[in-house]
Amino acid sequence: MSPRRLFIPVIVALLVACQPAASPSPSVPLRQVTLLLGFRPDVQFAPFYLAQQDGYYADVGLDVSIEYKSGDDIARLVANGQAEFGVMDATDVMIGRTAGIPIKYVATVYRLFPVALIGPKGAVPKHSGELADRRIGTPGQFGSSWHALLALLDAGGLTQDEVTIRTYPQFNQVEGLLNGDVDLITGFRNNEPLRLGAEGFETDLLTVEEIAPLPGPGVIVGDALLASDPTLAQHFVNATISAMAQVAGDPQVGVDAAVVAVPAIASDEATALAVLTATVQLWSLADGGVSPLIDPELWAAGYETMQRLGFIDGSVPLDEMFVMEILPST
Amino acid sequence: MRRLAATLISLAAFLVAWKLLTVVTSAPDYILPAPEVVAERAVRAIGSGLLWEHTAVTLSEILLGLAVGATTAVAVGTALGKSVVIERVLSPYIVAAQSVPILALAPLLDIWFGGGLLARVLICALIVFFPIAIATMVGIRSADPLLGEMFRSLGATPAQLTTRLEIPSALPVIFGGLRVGVTLAVIGAVVAEWAGASSGLGVLINIADQGLFDTPLMFVALVTLAVIGIGLHGLVVSIERRLIVHP
Repeated sequence: MSPRRLFIPVIVALLVACQPAASPSPSVPLRQVTLLLGFRPDVQFAPFYLAQQDGYYADVGLDVSIEYKSGDDIARLVANGQAEFGVMDATDVMIGRTAGIPIKYVATVYRLFPVALIGPKGAVPKHSGELADRRIGTPGQFGSSWHALLALLDAGGLTQDEVTIRTYPQFNQVEGLLNGDVDLITGFRNNEPLRLGAEGFETDLLTVEEIAPLPGPGVIVGDALLASDPTLAQHFVNATISAMAQVAGDPQVGVDAAVVAVPAIASDEATALAVLTATVQLWSLADGGVSPLIDPELWAAGYETMQRLGFIDGSVPLDEMFVMEILPST
Repeated sequence: MRRLAATLISLAAFLVAWKLLTVVTSAPDYILPAPEVVAERAVRAIGSGLLWEHTAVTLSEILLGLAVGATTAVAVGTALGKSVVIERVLSPYIVAAQSVPILALAPLLDIWFGGGLLARVLICALIVFFPIAIATMVGIRSADPLLGEMFRSLGATPAQLTTRLEIPSALPVIFGGLRVGVTLAVIGAVVAEWAGASSGLGVLINIADQGLFDTPLMFVALVTLAVIGIGLHGLVVSIERRLIVHP
Protein backbone atom coordinates (compact mmCIF):
# COMPACT_ATOMS: atom_id res chain seq x y z
CA MET A 1 0.00 0.00 0.00
CA SER A 2 1.38 3.42 -0.96
CA PRO A 3 1.88 6.11 1.70
CA ARG A 4 -0.78 8.19 -0.07
CA ARG A 5 -3.30 5.43 0.46
CA LEU A 6 -2.36 5.16 4.12
CA PHE A 7 -3.35 8.79 4.53
CA ILE A 8 -6.79 8.28 3.05
CA PRO A 9 -8.54 6.86 6.14
CA VAL A 10 -7.22 9.81 8.12
CA ILE A 11 -8.51 12.22 5.49
CA VAL A 12 -11.91 10.54 5.56
CA ALA A 13 -12.08 10.87 9.30
CA LEU A 14 -11.21 14.56 8.98
CA LEU A 15 -13.80 15.06 6.25
CA VAL A 16 -16.52 13.51 8.34
CA ALA A 17 -15.42 15.40 11.43
CA CYS A 18 -15.47 18.68 9.52
CA GLN A 19 -19.20 18.42 8.73
CA PRO A 20 -21.29 21.23 10.13
CA ALA A 21 -22.63 20.14 13.49
CA ALA A 22 -25.92 21.93 13.27
CA SER A 23 -28.42 22.86 10.61
CA PRO A 24 -28.31 26.39 9.30
CA SER A 25 -30.71 28.85 10.79
CA PRO A 26 -34.31 28.03 9.77
CA SER A 27 -34.56 31.55 8.37
CA VAL A 28 -31.95 30.73 5.73
CA PRO A 29 -33.73 29.06 2.83
CA LEU A 30 -32.14 25.89 1.52
CA ARG A 31 -30.71 26.05 -1.97
CA GLN A 32 -32.66 23.82 -4.32
CA VAL A 33 -30.41 21.59 -6.40
CA THR A 34 -31.02 18.53 -8.59
CA LEU A 35 -29.05 15.31 -8.46
CA LEU A 36 -29.28 12.94 -11.43
CA LEU A 37 -28.78 9.24 -10.80
CA GLY A 38 -28.61 6.44 -13.33
CA PHE A 39 -31.60 4.73 -14.87
CA ARG A 40 -33.89 3.74 -12.02
CA PRO A 41 -34.31 3.92 -8.25
CA ASP A 42 -32.13 1.32 -6.53
CA VAL A 43 -30.79 0.38 -3.12
CA GLN A 44 -27.29 1.15 -4.44
CA PHE A 45 -28.21 4.84 -4.21
CA ALA A 46 -28.88 4.49 -0.47
CA PRO A 47 -26.34 7.16 0.64
CA PHE A 48 -28.10 9.78 -1.47
CA TYR A 49 -31.48 8.80 -0.02
CA LEU A 50 -30.05 8.82 3.49
CA ALA A 51 -28.39 12.20 2.99
CA GLN A 52 -31.68 13.56 1.73
CA GLN A 53 -33.80 12.08 4.54
CA ASP A 54 -31.48 12.51 7.53
CA GLY A 55 -30.54 16.11 6.89
CA TYR A 56 -26.98 15.66 5.64
CA TYR A 57 -27.79 17.86 2.66
CA ALA A 58 -29.89 20.28 4.70
CA ASP A 59 -26.97 20.67 7.10
CA VAL A 60 -24.91 22.15 4.28
CA GLY A 61 -27.80 24.31 3.06
CA LEU A 62 -29.02 22.10 0.23
CA ASP A 63 -32.47 20.85 -0.69
CA VAL A 64 -31.62 18.02 -3.08
CA SER A 65 -34.21 16.57 -5.42
CA ILE A 66 -33.28 13.29 -7.09
CA GLU A 67 -34.14 12.35 -10.67
CA TYR A 68 -33.20 9.29 -12.71
CA LYS A 69 -31.75 9.56 -16.22
CA SER A 70 -29.58 7.64 -18.64
CA GLY A 71 -25.85 8.42 -18.62
CA ASP A 72 -25.95 10.57 -21.75
CA ASP A 73 -28.82 12.66 -20.40
CA ILE A 74 -27.02 13.08 -17.07
CA ALA A 75 -23.98 14.49 -18.87
CA ARG A 76 -25.98 16.87 -21.06
CA LEU A 77 -28.28 18.14 -18.32
CA VAL A 78 -25.44 18.72 -15.84
CA ALA A 79 -23.31 20.40 -18.51
CA ASN A 80 -26.21 22.62 -19.54
CA GLY A 81 -26.97 23.68 -15.99
CA GLN A 82 -30.36 21.97 -15.85
CA ALA A 83 -29.09 19.87 -12.95
CA GLU A 84 -26.28 20.65 -10.55
CA PHE A 85 -24.93 17.16 -9.90
CA GLY A 86 -24.91 13.74 -11.44
CA VAL A 87 -23.44 10.33 -10.77
CA MET A 88 -21.84 8.93 -13.86
CA ASP A 89 -19.33 6.34 -15.08
CA ALA A 90 -15.81 7.73 -15.17
CA THR A 91 -15.30 6.11 -18.59
CA ASP A 92 -18.35 7.99 -19.91
CA VAL A 93 -16.96 11.22 -18.45
CA MET A 94 -13.83 10.67 -20.57
CA ILE A 95 -15.92 10.13 -23.71
CA GLY A 96 -18.34 12.98 -22.97
CA ARG A 97 -15.56 15.44 -22.19
CA THR A 98 -13.77 14.45 -25.40
CA ALA A 99 -17.03 15.01 -27.30
CA GLY A 100 -17.11 18.59 -26.00
CA ILE A 101 -19.54 18.21 -23.10
CA PRO A 102 -18.25 20.51 -20.33
CA ILE A 103 -18.45 18.24 -17.28
CA LYS A 104 -15.88 17.23 -14.73
CA TYR A 105 -15.62 14.31 -12.33
CA VAL A 106 -15.20 15.73 -8.84
CA ALA A 107 -15.49 12.81 -6.42
CA THR A 108 -15.16 9.05 -6.46
CA VAL A 109 -18.13 6.99 -5.35
CA TYR A 110 -17.09 3.53 -6.60
CA ARG A 111 -13.47 2.83 -5.81
CA LEU A 112 -13.66 -0.47 -7.73
CA PHE A 113 -15.13 -0.72 -11.23
CA PRO A 114 -18.53 -2.32 -10.64
CA VAL A 115 -18.96 -4.12 -13.97
CA ALA A 116 -17.61 -7.65 -14.38
CA LEU A 117 -18.11 -10.63 -16.64
CA ILE A 118 -20.49 -13.03 -14.95
CA GLY A 119 -21.07 -16.69 -15.77
CA PRO A 120 -22.06 -20.01 -14.26
CA LYS A 121 -19.82 -21.22 -11.43
CA GLY A 122 -16.77 -22.98 -12.79
CA ALA A 123 -17.38 -21.77 -16.35
CA VAL A 124 -15.81 -18.31 -16.18
CA PRO A 125 -12.23 -18.06 -17.49
CA LYS A 126 -9.58 -16.92 -15.02
CA HIS A 127 -7.72 -15.00 -17.74
CA SER A 128 -9.23 -12.73 -20.35
CA GLY A 129 -7.20 -14.40 -23.11
CA GLU A 130 -9.44 -17.45 -22.62
CA LEU A 131 -12.56 -15.54 -23.66
CA ALA A 132 -12.12 -16.48 -27.33
CA ASP A 133 -15.18 -18.13 -28.90
CA ARG A 134 -17.38 -17.36 -25.89
CA ARG A 135 -20.91 -16.02 -26.39
CA ILE A 136 -21.21 -12.85 -24.34
CA GLY A 137 -24.38 -10.88 -23.58
CA THR A 138 -24.19 -7.14 -22.93
CA PRO A 139 -26.72 -4.28 -23.10
CA GLY A 140 -25.15 -2.65 -26.15
CA GLN A 141 -22.21 -0.78 -27.56
CA PHE A 142 -22.33 1.88 -24.86
CA GLY A 143 -21.69 2.46 -21.19
CA SER A 144 -19.47 0.89 -18.57
CA SER A 145 -20.46 -2.69 -19.53
CA TRP A 146 -19.21 -2.17 -23.07
CA HIS A 147 -16.05 -0.45 -21.88
CA ALA A 148 -15.29 -3.26 -19.41
CA LEU A 149 -15.92 -5.95 -22.03
CA LEU A 150 -13.66 -4.36 -24.62
CA ALA A 151 -10.99 -3.62 -22.01
CA LEU A 152 -10.98 -7.26 -20.91
CA LEU A 153 -10.83 -8.51 -24.51
CA ASP A 154 -8.03 -6.05 -25.27
CA ALA A 155 -6.07 -7.14 -22.21
CA GLY A 156 -6.39 -10.73 -23.39
CA GLY A 157 -5.13 -9.86 -26.86
CA LEU A 158 -8.58 -10.45 -28.37
CA THR A 159 -10.94 -8.41 -30.54
CA GLN A 160 -14.72 -8.30 -30.76
CA ASP A 161 -14.52 -10.60 -33.78
CA GLU A 162 -13.07 -13.40 -31.70
CA VAL A 163 -16.12 -13.68 -29.45
CA THR A 164 -19.85 -13.72 -30.20
CA ILE A 165 -21.49 -10.64 -28.71
CA ARG A 166 -25.24 -10.57 -28.29
CA THR A 167 -26.84 -7.32 -27.23
CA TYR A 168 -29.67 -6.91 -24.73
CA PRO A 169 -30.59 -3.22 -24.92
CA GLN A 170 -33.35 -3.70 -22.34
CA PHE A 171 -30.66 -4.82 -19.85
CA ASN A 172 -32.21 -8.30 -19.75
CA GLN A 173 -28.96 -10.16 -20.42
CA VAL A 174 -29.54 -12.20 -17.24
CA GLU A 175 -32.41 -13.95 -19.07
CA GLY A 176 -30.02 -14.74 -21.90
CA LEU A 177 -27.61 -16.34 -19.41
CA LEU A 178 -30.37 -18.29 -17.68
CA ASN A 179 -31.80 -19.73 -20.88
CA GLY A 180 -28.36 -20.58 -22.29
CA ASP A 181 -28.34 -18.11 -25.19
CA VAL A 182 -24.99 -16.78 -23.96
CA ASP A 183 -22.12 -18.19 -21.87
CA LEU A 184 -21.25 -14.99 -20.03
CA ILE A 185 -22.83 -11.61 -19.43
CA THR A 186 -21.62 -8.20 -18.40
CA GLY A 187 -23.26 -7.07 -15.21
CA PHE A 188 -22.83 -5.30 -11.93
CA ARG A 189 -20.87 -7.53 -9.59
CA ASN A 190 -22.72 -6.08 -6.60
CA ASN A 191 -26.11 -6.93 -8.07
CA GLU A 192 -26.62 -9.65 -10.69
CA PRO A 193 -24.59 -12.42 -8.97
CA LEU A 194 -26.59 -11.91 -5.77
CA ARG A 195 -29.93 -11.88 -7.54
CA LEU A 196 -28.93 -14.97 -9.56
CA GLY A 197 -27.66 -16.65 -6.40
CA ALA A 198 -31.01 -16.00 -4.73
CA GLU A 199 -32.57 -18.06 -7.53
CA GLY A 200 -30.08 -20.89 -7.02
CA PHE A 201 -27.84 -19.95 -9.95
CA GLU A 202 -24.30 -19.81 -8.61
CA THR A 203 -21.86 -17.60 -10.48
CA ASP A 204 -18.20 -16.74 -10.91
CA LEU A 205 -16.78 -13.38 -12.00
CA LEU A 206 -14.00 -11.98 -14.14
CA THR A 207 -13.32 -8.43 -12.90
CA VAL A 208 -11.36 -5.66 -14.56
CA GLU A 209 -9.21 -4.21 -11.80
CA GLU A 210 -6.38 -6.71 -11.91
CA ILE A 211 -6.48 -7.00 -15.72
CA ALA A 212 -7.48 -3.64 -17.18
CA PRO A 213 -8.00 -1.08 -14.40
CA LEU A 214 -10.70 1.52 -15.04
CA PRO A 215 -11.94 4.24 -12.66
CA GLY A 216 -15.45 3.76 -11.31
CA PRO A 217 -18.54 5.98 -11.21
CA GLY A 218 -18.47 9.22 -9.30
CA VAL A 219 -19.99 12.67 -8.91
CA ILE A 220 -19.92 15.04 -11.87
CA VAL A 221 -20.44 18.79 -12.02
CA GLY A 222 -20.69 21.17 -14.98
CA ASP A 223 -17.77 23.48 -15.76
CA ALA A 224 -19.92 26.59 -15.38
CA LEU A 225 -21.05 25.70 -11.86
CA LEU A 226 -17.55 24.67 -10.85
CA ALA A 227 -16.24 28.04 -11.97
CA SER A 228 -19.01 30.10 -10.38
CA ASP A 229 -19.59 28.24 -7.12
CA PRO A 230 -17.01 25.56 -6.28
CA THR A 231 -18.07 25.45 -2.62
CA LEU A 232 -21.49 24.16 -3.64
CA ALA A 233 -19.91 21.01 -5.06
CA GLN A 234 -17.67 20.79 -2.01
CA HIS A 235 -20.66 20.87 0.34
CA PHE A 236 -22.54 18.33 -1.73
CA VAL A 237 -19.62 15.89 -1.84
CA ASN A 238 -18.92 16.25 1.88
CA ALA A 239 -22.54 15.57 2.79
CA THR A 240 -22.72 12.59 0.44
CA ILE A 241 -19.52 11.07 1.78
CA SER A 242 -20.76 11.46 5.34
CA ALA A 243 -23.90 9.52 4.41
CA MET A 244 -21.78 6.93 2.60
CA ALA A 245 -19.69 6.48 5.73
CA GLN A 246 -22.81 5.88 7.80
CA VAL A 247 -24.16 3.36 5.29
CA ALA A 248 -20.77 1.64 5.09
CA GLY A 249 -20.81 1.29 8.88
CA ASP A 250 -24.34 -0.10 8.95
CA PRO A 251 -25.83 -1.09 5.57
CA GLN A 252 -29.22 -1.72 7.20
CA VAL A 253 -29.49 2.06 7.75
CA GLY A 254 -29.05 2.46 4.00
CA VAL A 255 -31.67 -0.16 3.22
CA ASP A 256 -34.12 1.58 5.55
CA ALA A 257 -33.51 4.88 3.76
CA ALA A 258 -33.87 3.18 0.37
CA VAL A 259 -37.20 1.63 1.44
CA VAL A 260 -38.49 5.09 2.35
CA ALA A 261 -37.39 6.47 -1.03
CA VAL A 262 -38.38 3.40 -3.04
CA PRO A 263 -41.04 1.39 -1.19
CA ALA A 264 -40.81 -1.48 -3.71
CA ILE A 265 -37.42 -2.39 -2.21
CA ALA A 266 -39.26 -3.62 0.89
CA SER A 267 -40.60 -6.57 -1.10
CA ASP A 268 -37.18 -8.27 -0.92
CA GLU A 269 -35.29 -6.53 1.83
CA ALA A 270 -32.86 -9.43 2.38
CA THR A 271 -31.57 -9.25 -1.20
CA ALA A 272 -31.49 -5.44 -0.97
CA LEU A 273 -29.28 -5.69 2.12
CA ALA A 274 -27.00 -8.20 0.37
CA VAL A 275 -26.75 -5.91 -2.68
CA LEU A 276 -25.98 -2.87 -0.56
CA THR A 277 -23.41 -4.77 1.50
CA ALA A 278 -21.68 -5.83 -1.72
CA THR A 279 -21.94 -2.25 -3.00
CA VAL A 280 -20.25 -0.92 0.14
CA GLN A 281 -17.27 -3.17 -0.65
CA LEU A 282 -16.95 -1.42 -4.03
CA TRP A 283 -16.92 2.01 -2.40
CA SER A 284 -14.64 1.15 0.46
CA LEU A 285 -10.96 1.46 1.12
CA ALA A 286 -9.01 -1.48 2.50
CA ASP A 287 -9.79 -0.39 6.07
CA GLY A 288 -13.52 -0.15 5.40
CA GLY A 289 -13.59 3.65 5.27
CA VAL A 290 -14.91 5.68 2.36
CA SER A 291 -13.27 8.57 0.56
CA PRO A 292 -14.17 10.84 -2.34
CA LEU A 293 -10.53 11.18 -3.35
CA ILE A 294 -9.69 10.62 -6.99
CA ASP A 295 -6.86 8.24 -7.81
CA PRO A 296 -4.87 9.95 -10.62
CA GLU A 297 -2.87 6.80 -11.36
CA LEU A 298 -6.02 4.77 -11.89
CA TRP A 299 -7.44 7.52 -14.11
CA ALA A 300 -4.22 7.60 -16.13
CA ALA A 301 -4.39 3.84 -16.67
CA GLY A 302 -8.06 4.05 -17.63
CA TYR A 303 -7.44 6.99 -19.96
CA GLU A 304 -4.72 5.02 -21.74
CA THR A 305 -7.02 1.99 -22.10
CA MET A 306 -9.93 4.09 -23.40
CA GLN A 307 -7.62 5.76 -25.91
CA ARG A 308 -6.20 2.44 -27.08
CA LEU A 309 -9.76 1.11 -27.54
CA GLY A 310 -10.64 4.15 -29.67
CA PHE A 311 -13.28 5.60 -27.35
CA ILE A 312 -11.28 8.81 -26.95
CA ASP A 313 -8.71 10.35 -29.24
CA GLY A 314 -6.53 12.05 -26.62
CA SER A 315 -7.48 15.53 -27.82
CA VAL A 316 -8.70 16.43 -24.33
CA PRO A 317 -5.94 15.85 -21.78
CA LEU A 318 -6.51 13.73 -18.70
CA ASP A 319 -6.27 16.66 -16.29
CA GLU A 320 -9.34 18.29 -17.90
CA MET A 321 -11.48 15.25 -17.13
CA PHE A 322 -11.50 15.51 -13.36
CA VAL A 323 -10.80 18.10 -10.70
CA MET A 324 -9.33 17.38 -7.28
CA GLU A 325 -9.24 20.92 -5.94
CA ILE A 326 -12.77 20.96 -4.56
CA LEU A 327 -11.96 18.19 -2.11
CA PRO A 328 -11.03 19.92 1.16
CA SER A 329 -8.07 17.65 1.75
CA THR A 330 -6.24 18.68 -1.41
CA MET B 1 -40.79 21.45 -62.13
CA ARG B 2 -43.09 23.56 -59.97
CA ARG B 3 -43.43 20.66 -57.51
CA LEU B 4 -39.63 20.31 -57.26
CA ALA B 5 -39.25 24.05 -56.65
CA ALA B 6 -41.87 23.93 -53.89
CA THR B 7 -40.06 21.01 -52.27
CA LEU B 8 -36.71 22.81 -52.41
CA ILE B 9 -38.16 26.03 -50.98
CA SER B 10 -39.81 24.04 -48.17
CA LEU B 11 -36.50 22.27 -47.40
CA ALA B 12 -34.60 25.55 -47.40
CA ALA B 13 -37.17 27.12 -45.06
CA PHE B 14 -36.85 24.15 -42.70
CA LEU B 15 -33.04 24.41 -42.62
CA VAL B 16 -33.17 28.17 -42.03
CA ALA B 17 -35.67 27.69 -39.18
CA TRP B 18 -33.43 24.99 -37.67
CA LYS B 19 -30.36 27.23 -37.92
CA LEU B 20 -32.24 30.17 -36.41
CA LEU B 21 -33.34 28.01 -33.51
CA THR B 22 -29.74 27.09 -32.71
CA VAL B 23 -28.69 30.73 -32.93
CA VAL B 24 -31.57 32.12 -30.86
CA THR B 25 -31.27 29.47 -28.13
CA SER B 26 -27.45 29.44 -28.24
CA ALA B 27 -27.76 25.70 -27.83
CA PRO B 28 -24.41 23.90 -27.80
CA ASP B 29 -23.82 21.09 -30.30
CA TYR B 30 -24.34 18.43 -27.65
CA ILE B 31 -27.92 19.70 -27.13
CA LEU B 32 -28.98 20.88 -30.61
CA PRO B 33 -26.36 20.81 -33.35
CA ALA B 34 -26.73 23.29 -36.20
CA PRO B 35 -27.56 21.91 -39.67
CA GLU B 36 -24.06 22.54 -41.00
CA VAL B 37 -22.56 20.61 -38.07
CA VAL B 38 -24.85 17.67 -38.83
CA ALA B 39 -24.01 17.94 -42.54
CA GLU B 40 -20.28 17.89 -41.79
CA ARG B 41 -20.76 14.84 -39.54
CA ALA B 42 -22.85 13.16 -42.26
CA VAL B 43 -20.05 13.64 -44.76
CA ARG B 44 -17.61 11.95 -42.38
CA ALA B 45 -20.06 9.11 -41.61
CA ILE B 46 -20.65 8.53 -45.32
CA GLY B 47 -16.95 8.73 -46.12
CA SER B 48 -16.04 6.15 -43.48
CA GLY B 49 -18.79 3.78 -44.62
CA LEU B 50 -20.37 3.91 -41.15
CA LEU B 51 -23.69 5.34 -42.31
CA TRP B 52 -24.23 2.90 -45.16
CA GLU B 53 -23.26 -0.08 -42.98
CA HIS B 54 -26.11 0.73 -40.59
CA THR B 55 -28.55 2.03 -43.21
CA ALA B 56 -28.36 -1.16 -45.27
CA VAL B 57 -29.35 -3.26 -42.25
CA THR B 58 -32.31 -1.05 -41.33
CA LEU B 59 -33.49 -0.77 -44.92
CA SER B 60 -33.53 -4.57 -45.32
CA GLU B 61 -35.52 -4.91 -42.07
CA ILE B 62 -38.01 -2.27 -43.22
CA LEU B 63 -38.53 -3.82 -46.66
CA LEU B 64 -38.86 -7.38 -45.34
CA GLY B 65 -41.12 -6.28 -42.47
CA LEU B 66 -43.26 -4.27 -44.84
CA ALA B 67 -43.53 -7.18 -47.28
CA VAL B 68 -44.51 -9.68 -44.57
CA GLY B 69 -46.75 -7.26 -42.68
CA ALA B 70 -48.54 -5.81 -45.72
CA THR B 71 -49.12 -9.18 -47.40
CA THR B 72 -50.54 -10.70 -44.24
CA ALA B 73 -52.58 -7.58 -43.53
CA VAL B 74 -54.20 -7.53 -46.98
CA ALA B 75 -55.07 -11.24 -46.69
CA VAL B 76 -56.47 -10.92 -43.16
CA GLY B 77 -58.18 -7.60 -43.96
CA THR B 78 -59.90 -9.18 -46.96
CA ALA B 79 -61.15 -12.06 -44.80
CA LEU B 80 -62.36 -9.60 -42.16
CA GLY B 81 -64.12 -7.53 -44.78
CA LYS B 82 -65.89 -10.49 -46.36
CA SER B 83 -66.96 -12.34 -43.23
CA VAL B 84 -68.68 -10.82 -40.22
CA VAL B 85 -68.02 -14.05 -38.31
CA ILE B 86 -64.27 -13.87 -38.95
CA GLU B 87 -64.30 -10.21 -37.98
CA ARG B 88 -66.06 -10.99 -34.69
CA VAL B 89 -63.64 -13.82 -33.90
CA LEU B 90 -60.37 -12.10 -34.89
CA SER B 91 -61.00 -8.42 -34.20
CA PRO B 92 -60.50 -8.54 -30.40
CA TYR B 93 -57.09 -10.22 -30.87
CA ILE B 94 -56.02 -7.82 -33.60
CA VAL B 95 -57.06 -4.80 -31.56
CA ALA B 96 -55.42 -6.26 -28.44
CA ALA B 97 -52.17 -6.88 -30.32
CA GLN B 98 -52.25 -3.29 -31.53
CA SER B 99 -53.01 -1.95 -28.05
CA VAL B 100 -50.04 -3.66 -26.39
CA PRO B 101 -47.08 -1.27 -26.47
CA ILE B 102 -44.66 -2.68 -29.01
CA LEU B 103 -41.78 -1.34 -26.91
CA ALA B 104 -42.78 -3.77 -24.13
CA LEU B 105 -43.36 -6.70 -26.47
CA ALA B 106 -40.27 -6.29 -28.65
CA PRO B 107 -37.67 -7.55 -26.12
CA LEU B 108 -39.75 -10.70 -25.57
CA LEU B 109 -40.17 -11.28 -29.32
CA ASP B 110 -36.43 -10.83 -29.66
CA ILE B 111 -35.79 -13.60 -27.12
CA TRP B 112 -38.54 -15.92 -28.43
CA PHE B 113 -37.34 -15.73 -32.03
CA GLY B 114 -33.61 -15.98 -31.36
CA GLY B 115 -32.64 -12.34 -31.57
CA GLY B 116 -31.79 -12.35 -35.27
CA LEU B 117 -33.20 -10.84 -38.45
CA LEU B 118 -36.36 -12.96 -38.13
CA ALA B 119 -37.25 -11.37 -34.79
CA ARG B 120 -36.68 -7.87 -36.14
CA VAL B 121 -38.72 -8.49 -39.30
CA LEU B 122 -41.59 -9.88 -37.20
CA ILE B 123 -41.58 -6.83 -34.90
CA CYS B 124 -41.59 -4.57 -37.94
CA ALA B 125 -44.38 -6.61 -39.59
CA LEU B 126 -46.47 -6.49 -36.42
CA ILE B 127 -46.42 -2.71 -36.27
CA VAL B 128 -47.21 -2.44 -40.00
CA PHE B 129 -50.07 -4.95 -39.90
CA PHE B 130 -52.88 -3.07 -38.15
CA PRO B 131 -53.42 0.04 -40.32
CA ILE B 132 -53.20 -1.95 -43.55
CA ALA B 133 -55.52 -4.74 -42.31
CA ILE B 134 -58.16 -2.26 -41.10
CA ALA B 135 -57.88 -0.21 -44.31
CA THR B 136 -58.29 -3.37 -46.38
CA MET B 137 -61.35 -4.46 -44.37
CA VAL B 138 -62.99 -1.05 -44.79
CA GLY B 139 -62.05 -0.96 -48.47
CA ILE B 140 -63.47 -4.42 -49.20
CA ARG B 141 -66.76 -3.42 -47.59
CA SER B 142 -66.90 -0.23 -49.63
CA ALA B 143 -67.34 -2.12 -52.90
CA ASP B 144 -70.58 -1.11 -54.67
CA PRO B 145 -73.24 -3.72 -53.70
CA LEU B 146 -75.05 -3.21 -57.03
CA LEU B 147 -71.88 -4.11 -58.91
CA GLY B 148 -71.57 -7.17 -56.65
CA GLU B 149 -75.11 -8.22 -57.60
CA MET B 150 -74.23 -7.77 -61.26
CA PHE B 151 -71.04 -9.90 -60.91
CA ARG B 152 -73.04 -12.67 -59.25
CA SER B 153 -75.83 -12.52 -61.84
CA LEU B 154 -73.17 -12.93 -64.53
CA GLY B 155 -71.94 -16.10 -62.77
CA ALA B 156 -68.75 -14.73 -61.16
CA THR B 157 -67.17 -17.08 -58.62
CA PRO B 158 -66.40 -15.79 -55.08
CA ALA B 159 -62.71 -15.64 -56.03
CA GLN B 160 -63.51 -13.58 -59.14
CA LEU B 161 -65.75 -11.30 -57.08
CA THR B 162 -62.84 -10.67 -54.70
CA THR B 163 -60.07 -10.21 -57.26
CA ARG B 164 -62.06 -8.38 -59.97
CA LEU B 165 -64.36 -6.19 -57.90
CA GLU B 166 -63.72 -5.96 -54.17
CA ILE B 167 -59.93 -5.61 -54.11
CA PRO B 168 -59.81 -3.13 -57.02
CA SER B 169 -62.56 -1.11 -55.31
CA ALA B 170 -60.63 -1.26 -52.06
CA LEU B 171 -57.31 -0.13 -53.56
CA PRO B 172 -57.60 3.59 -52.72
CA VAL B 173 -58.31 2.75 -49.08
CA ILE B 174 -55.63 0.02 -48.99
CA PHE B 175 -53.10 2.52 -50.28
CA GLY B 176 -54.18 4.89 -47.51
CA GLY B 177 -53.27 2.13 -45.05
CA LEU B 178 -50.00 1.48 -46.88
CA ARG B 179 -49.03 5.15 -46.62
CA VAL B 180 -49.38 4.88 -42.84
CA GLY B 181 -47.76 1.43 -42.85
CA VAL B 182 -44.53 2.45 -44.57
CA THR B 183 -43.84 5.17 -42.05
CA LEU B 184 -44.65 2.79 -39.18
CA ALA B 185 -42.27 0.25 -40.74
CA VAL B 186 -39.42 2.69 -40.18
CA ILE B 187 -40.39 3.03 -36.52
CA GLY B 188 -40.85 -0.75 -36.27
CA ALA B 189 -37.33 -1.43 -37.53
CA VAL B 190 -35.83 0.98 -35.01
CA VAL B 191 -37.89 -0.46 -32.14
CA ALA B 192 -36.78 -3.96 -33.21
CA GLU B 193 -33.15 -2.87 -33.19
CA TRP B 194 -33.56 -1.32 -29.76
CA ALA B 195 -34.85 -4.70 -28.56
CA GLY B 196 -31.61 -6.38 -29.61
CA ALA B 197 -29.29 -5.82 -32.55
CA SER B 198 -25.68 -5.02 -33.19
CA SER B 199 -26.18 -2.89 -36.29
CA GLY B 200 -28.82 -0.70 -37.93
CA LEU B 201 -29.76 2.95 -37.62
CA GLY B 202 -31.52 2.33 -34.29
CA VAL B 203 -28.27 0.87 -32.96
CA LEU B 204 -26.33 3.79 -34.44
CA ILE B 205 -28.62 6.19 -32.57
CA ASN B 206 -27.84 4.36 -29.31
CA ILE B 207 -24.11 4.25 -30.04
CA ALA B 208 -24.01 7.93 -30.98
CA ASP B 209 -26.22 9.06 -28.10
CA GLN B 210 -25.27 6.82 -25.18
CA GLY B 211 -21.93 5.45 -26.34
CA LEU B 212 -20.12 8.33 -27.98
CA PHE B 213 -22.12 11.36 -26.77
CA ASP B 214 -21.98 12.35 -30.44
CA THR B 215 -25.24 14.31 -30.86
CA PRO B 216 -24.49 15.36 -34.47
CA LEU B 217 -24.08 11.68 -35.43
CA MET B 218 -27.39 10.89 -33.75
CA PHE B 219 -29.01 13.59 -35.88
CA VAL B 220 -27.39 12.07 -38.98
CA ALA B 221 -29.08 8.75 -38.15
CA LEU B 222 -32.41 10.48 -37.46
CA VAL B 223 -32.27 12.42 -40.72
CA THR B 224 -31.43 9.22 -42.59
CA LEU B 225 -34.48 7.52 -41.09
CA ALA B 226 -36.61 10.49 -42.09
CA VAL B 227 -35.26 10.33 -45.64
CA ILE B 228 -36.04 6.59 -45.82
CA GLY B 229 -39.58 7.26 -44.57
CA ILE B 230 -40.14 10.08 -47.05
CA GLY B 231 -38.69 7.98 -49.88
CA LEU B 232 -40.86 4.95 -49.14
CA HIS B 233 -43.96 7.11 -48.72
CA GLY B 234 -43.21 8.73 -52.07
CA LEU B 235 -42.80 5.29 -53.65
CA VAL B 236 -46.21 4.17 -52.36
CA VAL B 237 -47.82 7.39 -53.62
CA SER B 238 -46.15 6.92 -56.99
CA ILE B 239 -47.41 3.32 -57.32
CA GLU B 240 -50.86 4.46 -56.18
CA ARG B 241 -50.95 7.12 -58.92
CA ARG B 242 -50.06 4.54 -61.55
CA LEU B 243 -52.59 1.95 -60.36
CA ILE B 244 -55.55 4.12 -59.50
CA VAL B 245 -57.26 6.59 -61.77
CA HIS B 246 -58.91 9.14 -59.53
CA PRO B 247 -62.04 10.77 -60.98
